[in-house]
Amino acid sequence: MISVTLKNLKKYFGEVRAVDNLNLQIGEGEFMALLGPSGCGKTTTLLTIAGFYKPTAGEVYFNDRMVNDIPPRSRNIGMVFQSYALYPHMNVLDNIAFPLKLKKQPKKVWRKKAVEVAKLLQIDDLLDRMPAQLSGGQQQRVALARALIKQPQLLLLDEPLSNLDAKLRIVMRAELKRLQKDLGITTIFVTHDQMEAMTMADRIAVLKSGKLQQVGTPDELYDEPANVFVASFIGTPPMNFIRGSLLKSGSSYVFECEHFRILLDEVVVQKIRRFPVTNNVILGIRPEDVEMGRGEIKGEIYVVEPMGRDTLVTVKFGDVYIKVLTSSTVKYSIGENVSLSFKSDKVQLFDGETEESLYVKGRDER
Amino acid sequence: MRRWIPYILLVLIALPFLVMYVGFFMQAFGEGMHLGIIPEKFGFSNFRFLWQPIAWGLGKTTIWVTLLNTLIFACVSGAIVTVVCMLAGYALSRIEFKGRDFFMILQLFLHAVPGHILLIAIFFLLFYLKLLHRIPGVALARASLEIPLGVWIAKGFFDSIPWDIERSAMIDGCTRLQVWYKIFLPLVKPGIAAVFIWGFLFAWHDFIYVYTLLPGTVKLLSTLIQSLIATEVIDYGYLAALSVFYMVPPLVLFVYLQKALLKVPIFGGKGL
Repeated sequence: MISVTLKNLKKYFGEVRAVDNLNLQIGEGEFMALLGPSGCGKTTTLLTIAGFYKPTAGEVYFNDRMVNDIPPRSRNIGMVFQSYALYPHMNVLDNIAFPLKLKKQPKKVWRKKAVEVAKLLQIDDLLDRMPAQLSGGQQQRVALARALIKQPQLLLLDEPLSNLDAKLRIVMRAELKRLQKDLGITTIFVTHDQMEAMTMADRIAVLKSGKLQQVGTPDELYDEPANVFVASFIGTPPMNFIRGSLLKSGSSYVFECEHFRILLDEVVVQKIRRFPVTNNVILGIRPEDVEMGRGEIKGEIYVVEPMGRDTLVTVKFGDVYIKVLTSSTVKYSIGENVSLSFKSDKVQLFDGETEESLYVKGRDER
Repeated sequence: MRRWIPYILLVLIALPFLVMYVGFFMQAFGEGMHLGIIPEKFGFSNFRFLWQPIAWGLGKTTIWVTLLNTLIFACVSGAIVTVVCMLAGYALSRIEFKGRDFFMILQLFLHAVPGHILLIAIFFLLFYLKLLHRIPGVALARASLEIPLGVWIAKGFFDSIPWDIERSAMIDGCTRLQVWYKIFLPLVKPGIAAVFIWGFLFAWHDFIYVYTLLPGTVKLLSTLIQSLIATEVIDYGYLAALSVFYMVPPLVLFVYLQKALLKVPIFGGKGL
């Protein structure tokens, strides 16, 4: 297994900066997700690691070896594409064994290995079928088998789950994660689905417009987002944001906006690394960290969305809407007046200008 | 009544062409013609060239020698067009290089140039290459006329193959050339058939190149028919029968290759 290091990686297409000065280290055996909206440069990054794109500047290292000039076929990587990219004119067995056949391995050897890896992925009964005769989930397993058969030192997955139906996606999510842990292959996984990244990856790198926003474990990204973008991208339903001012009040601090003011908890104030030049800030609070029923924030229920176990309630204050995740045991109706409060230690604060978090990060201050 | 009017109109428009075709087949299969279209009886006497030598000038030839010459000419031309277009089409579809766009526009421009105006230049070119008066040489010249548009046709087929398939093959260990022949060629079989037919048909139908660049002693079907017209007494039945014979091989080829032409593979994965 190898570690992968991206050093000041840049990839421009004309004026477009698809990847802009990316620095990232992926450890041996690590499962890393590249997460971001479409057009954020995550697939470009993956294709650069695979060797299809030459970096405009910067380097890609496999362990200590710079691989910029090594063609994809010599990098010993396995890759699964979003479209699976099976060869339509070969049956499943030939598809899986293709990498070994190219290496001119004898039929006995490649057949045995192909059957082995097919068994691992539970597709050994499909070996005679043509790709067009397979379901999406089966095709994906074949693509995975083909990527694994040459025992790659690095596995690249480009949105491998996004063509599956919702139910199968959840099954495959768990299976892929387990498989990755069993085989211990360093894996880089591209997705635009934060849920996939959260559930599967050891660490997640969030990208936006070619720039790295934050790298961290799923918990770190969830609890300590580096900026408004990460905070809004991670978690469903997404975090609520309220613009306001950060004011000193005696020995403590107060967040004040048009419709309410709250005294910030001591824990929160402790975490603040620097105070913004202007007092313009954005307060972030996750829907599950808002408590209904008591508190000094008063609003009117705008809409109620039952989701089974929970209910998502949108509360309106003037032109501000806050989503609240509550237990579905209490029933609310539209137009009802409610009061609510924020779990004081869960409040996030961002600079109103730069949208960067004001908090000390557990990791990057270490 | 009203609903018959469109049909009547269509028949009227189609009539001259239909009469032409009917007349053509009547001539070929009929004997003792009246008014050029009504035969006294049907028979195969016009097809006597199949078992008799064909008199031409002072010499004689047989249909089979001529057919073989024509087949060699058309197949060589088709093969050259296919090989060049398949390689060039892949490169233009997949590889970035300087002047690619210019090259593609140049191909369209070249296609617009009528082949006839190049005859003299090609005559000298073949002469210096010692290929003049030889079927493969003339087939090469003929193929060069169809390559420009053939390249575009081939490029279209390669363009339809998703990048993921190519990338996947390269990850699996293919060189560019291996991607081309192990993955792409099997997937663009309809394209190969289309380009081959393209090259074959134009060579098969060619007259002016064959007439100018091959010696009079080497006859192809097109020049054979022409030489029969250029006599004092024209046997139209004989000529029509020979023309029917001339039509058959391309038709057979078309029927044989249409399966390949229609067989478009399903790319990548489900719904893609």
